[in-house]
Amino acid sequence: MLRIPPHHPIQLPLGLVIWAIWFVAVYGGLSVSCALAAPDPAAGPLTPINALLGLLTLVVTLFLLAMARYCWRGASAPEAGEHAFIARLAGAAHVIAAVSTLATGLPILVLPPCV
Amino acid sequence: MTTTVQTREKVWHNPRGWRALTVVSHTNIGRRFMLTGLFFFLVGGLMAMLMRAQLAFPDQAFMSAEIYNQLFTMHGTIMMFLFALPMLEGLGMYMVPKLIGARDLAFPRLGAFGYYCYLFGGLILLSSVALAMAPDSGWFMYTPLSSDVFSPGLNSDFWLLGVTFVEIAAVTAGIELMVSILKTRTAGMSLSRMPLMAWYLLVTSVMVVFGFPPLILGSILLELERAGGLAFFDVARGGDPLLWQHLFWLFGHPEVYIIFLPAAGLVSTLIPVFARRPIIGYRALVLAVITTGFISFGLWVHHMFTVGIPKLAQAFFSVASMLVAVPTAVQIFAWLATLWAGRPRFSLPMLWIFGFLVVFVFGGLTGVMLALVPFNWQVHDTHFVVAHMHYVLIGGMLFPLVAGIYYYLPLFTGRMPSMQLGRWGFWLFFIGFNVTFLIMHFTGLMGMPRRVYTYEAGLGWDIPNLISSIGGFIMTAGVGMVLLDLVLHGRYGRKAPANPWQGDTLEWTLRLPPPNWNFDTLPTVNSRHPLPVFPGHNTDASTEPMPSWLPDMSHGRRETLGCHPVSGKPVSTIHLPGNSWWPFVCALSLAVLCVLLLIRAYPLAAASATLSVALLSAWSWYNGPRKAHALAPSDPDQPPLHFRGLDSPGLWGANAGLMASGSLFMSMLFGWFYLWTVAPLWQFPEQTPLHWPLLTGVALLCSLAAWVYRRLLTPPKQGLTRSVLLIAGAGALALMLLATQIRLAPLAVREQAHDAILLVMLLYLLMHVGVALLATLLQARRAALGLVSAELPYELPIVRQLWRYAVLVAWALLLVLIAFPLSWGVY
Repeated sequence: MLRIPPHHPIQLPLGLVIWAIWFVAVYGGLSVSCALAAPDPAAGPLTPINALLGLLTLVVTLFLLAMARYCWRGASAPEAGEHAFIARLAGAAHVIAAVSTLATGLPILVLPPCV
Repeated sequence: MTTTVQTREKVWHNPRGWRALTVVSHTNIGRRFMLTGLFFFLVGGLMAMLMRAQLAFPDQAFMSAEIYNQLFTMHGTIMMFLFALPMLEGLGMYMVPKLIGARDLAFPRLGAFGYYCYLFGGLILLSSVALAMAPDSGWFMYTPLSSDVFSPGLNSDFWLLGVTFVEIAAVTAGIELMVSILKTRTAGMSLSRMPLMAWYLLVTSVMVVFGFPPLILGSILLELERAGGLAFFDVARGGDPLLWQHLFWLFGHPEVYIIFLPAAGLVSTLIPVFARRPIIGYRALVLAVITTGFISFGLWVHHMFTVGIPKLAQAFFSVASMLVAVPTAVQIFAWLATLWAGRPRFSLPMLWIFGFLVVFVFGGLTGVMLALVPFNWQVHDTHFVVAHMHYVLIGGMLFPLVAGIYYYLPLFTGRMPSMQLGRWGFWLFFIGFNVTFLIMHFTGLMGMPRRVYTYEAGLGWDIPNLISSIGGFIMTAGVGMVLLDLVLHGRYGRKAPANPWQGDTLEWTLRLPPPNWNFDTLPTVNSRHPLPVFPGHNTDASTEPMPSWLPDMSHGRRETLGCHPVSGKPVSTIHLPGNSWWPFVCALSLAVLCVLLLIRAYPLAAASATLSVALLSAWSWYNGPRKAHALAPSDPDQPPLHFRGLDSPGLWGANAGLMASGSLFMSMLFGWFYLWTVAPLWQFPEQTPLHWPLLTGVALLCSLAAWVYRRLLTPPKQGLTRSVLLIAGAGALALMLLATQIRLAPLAVREQAHDAILLVMLLYLLMHVGVALLATLLQARRAALGLVSAELPYELPIVRQLWRYAVLVAWALLLVLIAFPLSWGVY
């Protein structure tokens, strides 16, 4: 995905599309995990489900931040020209997507999954 | 040949009388949307006043519980589906070509078709009131209350069929606006120079394309359950009523932002004009709009906090609900900063913007309160929620809408509004609104539930309800005053001078009111502010004379520029279709189908459906380069006609339509996995009822059709018809295999949700293969007649997309319905 040029217009929604896919994955993953093997509520947030969802959240956040860096570098390239507008905007959108992922995923640290 | 005014008028002529039904011009269609929306607003408002009269005093017998149920259901339905969105889409359709320097929208006939679908759907829905059979299960139609067991009459059917019909209009308008904004901007209008209003409408239209299909699917499933006995929402048969809530709110929450964003676009347009300086934070606003568009899809479960989902899942949606306030706040701060840095004029439109800022910020704050799960539980289903919702919707949509109408009034009529009447209208509305709904927060906090037709005296709700009712009537007086102003200004209003508000965007270069073709010649822009009204802020505007485009109309074609979606560079001349009966006739035919389904006359409905398909096919047939003038020689200095290339607006429209269908398909897959995981009595049969070789055959044949089409994108000089017929043969075989699959599968659709949802998915694939096959057969005939050829290739990639999508669905179904369940060992 990093191979898509930073000024390609698909970069504008891409970060938030990844956020949306992550969102569906954690909500769906949580529901399916709880239906298959709900852990003991007494374990609190220290469960394999939380660990997996948390790991996914971290990976997606870091990936989005890498994409933001890639776009911003592309925006400052001398040949970017008119396309710098898209690359800068896309970089900012990726950061927003990363922050949204991290913020939405924070409850994974403190809440038990299936209660 | 010189193009005179007479030539232009002849090419863009709009007939009067009964032939006015053939008019497709965006100006007329946009106005019709808005006037029809105004009519429905008044009907919905009347219902609200009846409800406030009933609630003004305790223990009133002004109306029965049954009538009250119908009123609150219809009030919400009318305001959301028949007023708010159609009104804003109508304004968008009216404004977009004028804002982006085009002569019309990309698909004028589609716009007219959408309008008639909206009109007929709205009338069908409204007729239920006259027949005393109005829907009465709430505007969200929760199952099982809306299911046949608890709503045995036709009430819910009116809602399901009428609203679905109206939603067709919403989706067509969404597709049309999206493609028009991306593909028909005037020369030089790159994305970075696009007016903010166009950005807002672009994001809104994408949201409509993705947001409406989940509800369309939900409505189809519920109607199939009610009329055909299929099991989707019935727990005893493996369904789950919560599936309806998910599908409804997957649409319902984005819908709030679908309504808010165009209105916010008006705010972003008006504030710089009246602050007399460019908006502060153009990029931040674009970013905020895109972010809002996405995050608003991740909030739907906050309407379902009390249904019993795990706290962690609730927390995801709670955080997302709070996150969406951030881009909204960014916009508010950008607007305030612009006002702060500018020299604001407090004209009439600004009065309504002021009202918006106050009311919407209040509504947004109570929205953040409601995003908190414990607070949400406390006030769930109370009048607090009613108050919040009205602060957001009226504050976020109606106030900016009225501001926008006043702002654009000189464009509509060429006259200025009365400041005196307008001010009276505003203050009555603003005061009345706050008296009604501010107090309603407290009524809710005191525990008064929603949707009760009366209450006992002495619970502490008497005085607040009386105050709310008085406020409601003050607000109505404000609406009356604004309407009076709008009616009188047409006769007594001062003639508008050129650019009366000193706006900076292209629409203010037009005559007031503008001609049907908007621009005599299409301009070139090199700045975000094509009109130099902000001294010292037009730094990137060149003083060189700019070229103008498409001055010649002597060929008789309606034309506009086709642009590169990013740079705005002209790449083609788009030939726009003229006035036609097809949109009206096709919408009428679908309306008849809708009524026949409603009264459950299924044999007649089948005949009507066949007729509708025939009419829609005929519409597609009598389109494109059929008439002599369509291919008449054009100016060699202008971009080539879009028929000559592969990248046409039709291809973009087909892709947008398939995206909408894809959203519906994803919702279907969600339903499958949701019921599988959550429905308590969901059952898999002992073995899969599907025959995998048949479905694999369908997928392979569709893949073959798509592959051959790919080779045709470089059309051969000879043998095109034969190749297209070969594809049609493969498609026909695929259709037969699929029909055999459906016929052979032992599906007990009335007994198990598993089988019912399987059938719906197979029928969905059947429909897509059928549409692709029909389009291919028509294309083969057109190729034989020379309407599709190496010189006129633009239709080929459009039909190819239909096959590519069918391929995607066929393989996805194989994976989801057969491979995945088998891998889990459930069969």
